Amino acid sequence: MAAASFAYGAEPALTGIDFAVSPGQAVALIGPNGSGKSTLLKGILGLITRTSGTVEVLGQWPAPAGYIGYVPQTDQLDPHFPVSLEQVVMMGRYRSLGWWRLPSKADHRAVAEALETVDLGARARTRFGELSGGQQQRGLLARAVASAPRLLLLDEPFNGLDQINRDALIETVKRLKQQGVAVLVSTHDLDLARAVCESVLLLNGAQVAFGPRDAVLTLANVQQAFGSVGVEMDEHTIVVPGHGGH
Amino acid sequence: MDVFTPLITAFDLPFMARALLVLVVLSLVAGLVGVLVNLRGLEFISDGLTHAVFPGVAIGFVWGGRDGLFVGAMVAALIAAVVLTVIVKRAVTSDAAIAVVFTAMFSVGIIVVSRETNYVGQLDALLFGRLLTVSPAEVNQTVSVCLIALVMVGFTLKEQVFRAFDREGTAAAGYRPLALDIVLNVAIALVVVAASSAVGNLLVLAVLIVPGAVARLVTNRLWLLFPVAAGFAVVAAWVGLALGYEASVNGGVDLPSGATIVLVLVAGYGVALVLRLALDRIGGHHRTRRTASQLAEPAAP
Repeated sequence: MAAASFAYGAEPALTGIDFAVSPGQAVALIGPNGSGKSTLLKGILGLITRTSGTVEVLGQWPAPAGYIGYVPQTDQLDPHFPVSLEQVVMMGRYRSLGWWRLPSKADHRAVAEALETVDLGARARTRFGELSGGQQQRGLLARAVASAPRLLLLDEPFNGLDQINRDALIETVKRLKQQGVAVLVSTHDLDLARAVCESVLLLNGAQVAFGPRDAVLTLANVQQAFGSVGVEMDEHTIVVPGHGGH
Repeated sequence: MDVFTPLITAFDLPFMARALLVLVVLSLVAGLVGVLVNLRGLEFISDGLTHAVFPGVAIGFVWGGRDGLFVGAMVAALIAAVVLTVIVKRAVTSDAAIAVVFTAMFSVGIIVVSRETNYVGQLDALLFGRLLTVSPAEVNQTVSVCLIALVMVGFTLKEQVFRAFDREGTAAAGYRPLALDIVLNVAIALVVVAASSAVGNLLVLAVLIVPGAVARLVTNRLWLLFPVAAGFAVVAAWVGLALGYEASVNGGVDLPSGATIVLVLVAGYGVALVLRLALDRIGGHHRTRRTASQLAEPAAP
C-alpha cells in the first residue's frame, strides 16, 4: 500500500498510508479509537473509497476473490441470526464453491478441520449467537481458516476475550503465519502485537510510524499517535488517561 | 359436508382455480424472498418498493389498460430497485430518503389514476387487487415474473444469506455486496409486480413479510426457514381464498379475497407468536426475538 488515503463520502478518514506486509509476517495496527484502524481494513476490502495512492494485495487490485480472510468484530454481527457455528464457518468455503452449488464432502471436511484448529469441534451445531464472545471470535477465525486465505485481516480480535481464548487465538494465528499467510491485525493490546507481529503501523487519522515492532513502539511515537501527554506504556498495554486499560 | 370440503370444491370454478394458481406460485416465491427480507431487516425498503412501483402501475394502466399495467409495473420496479439500492448505500439517513422519495412517487401514481373516469373503482383494483378476475394471460405473466424472481434468489441464495449475516465478510470473500443487494431488491420488486394484479399494491407487503416472520418464530434452523415460510404462505393463501369464497357465496358476507388472505396470514402469525411464547416459557428460555412490533404495519399511502 503506497501513499493511500481513504474517505467516507467527502469526509477524509485516513491519509498517507504507506506500508507492506510479506507472506508469513504480521503487522499490528495500533492507534486510539477512531484513528482509522477499521477504516484501513475496510479500505483493503474495497468497502470504502480510496481517494489517492495505491493498494495491492499480492500485486493485484482489487484483491482476487478468496485471497483475503476477514475476521470482523463480533459485536458487528446480529446475535439472533439463525445460523449455526458450522454454517458460519462454511461461509468461508462459498467463494471456492461457486454459485448455486451445495457444499461437498471435501467442504464439510475443511469446515470440521477449521473448527478443530480453533478447538470448537464440539460446538459445531450450536447457534452462533449462543456462543460466548471468545468462541464467536474463534469461530470467525475458523471461517477465515476454511477459506485458505493468503492475507488475514483481524479487527480487534482480543476485545472481550479471556486468557484461554487469547492464547487459542494467538496459537492459530501463529500457525497460519507458518503456512505463509500474511496477517494484519488491529489491536489495542500490546501482548498480541508482541506475540505475533514483526511490524507495527501506528495510526492517528494518518500514518504516525511504520517499521519493526520495537523500533516503532517507543513512548514518543505512541504519545504522538494517542495525542495525549498522559499516555503511559508498559509491556502489555497502552494506558490512556480516562480510557481505562486502553 | 365437512369443514374441509370447501377448501377443495371452491376451486372447481375456473376463475377460482386461476386465482389459486397465481396465489400458490406467488406465495412460494414471496415466502423464499420474504425470509431474506426478514434476515436483512428490509421490511421498510420493501414497503418503499411497493410505493415506488405504484406510479408505474398507474401510468401503465392509464396508458394501456390491464396489459399496460404490467409493463408499467415492470419498468417502475426495475428502476426503483436499482435507485433504491444506490440511495441506501449512499444516504446517511436511508429511512428518511426512502420515505421522501417513495411517498412522493406514490402520490404521483394517485394523481395519474385520478385523471381517469371511474377513479375510485380503478384505484381500488390497483391498491387491493382483483384476484377473482385475473385473466389467463395475467396468470402467465404473474407466473413468469415469479419464476424470474425465484431464479434470481435461488441462484444467489447462500451468498444472500452470507451477505445478510456479514456484509464485510462477503466483500472480503470477493463478492460485491452492492451487486447482491441489487439482485435481492430487484427480486423483491418483481414479487411486488407479480402480486400487483392479484392482491394489490398495498397488501403485497403482508405476503412478502409475514411468512418470513412466521418462519423465524417456528425455527432457528437456517435452511428450514425457507420451506417453512413458503409452505405457510401457500397454506394461508389457499385457506384465505377458500374462506373468502365460502363467506361470499354461502355465508352472505362479501369478503374481499386479497384482504381475507392477508388476515389469514396475520392470524397465522398470531398463532405462531403465541405458541412460540408458550414454548419459550415452558422451555425456560427467554430469548429475545423479532416480534409483532417488527411486523411491518399495513402501509398507509
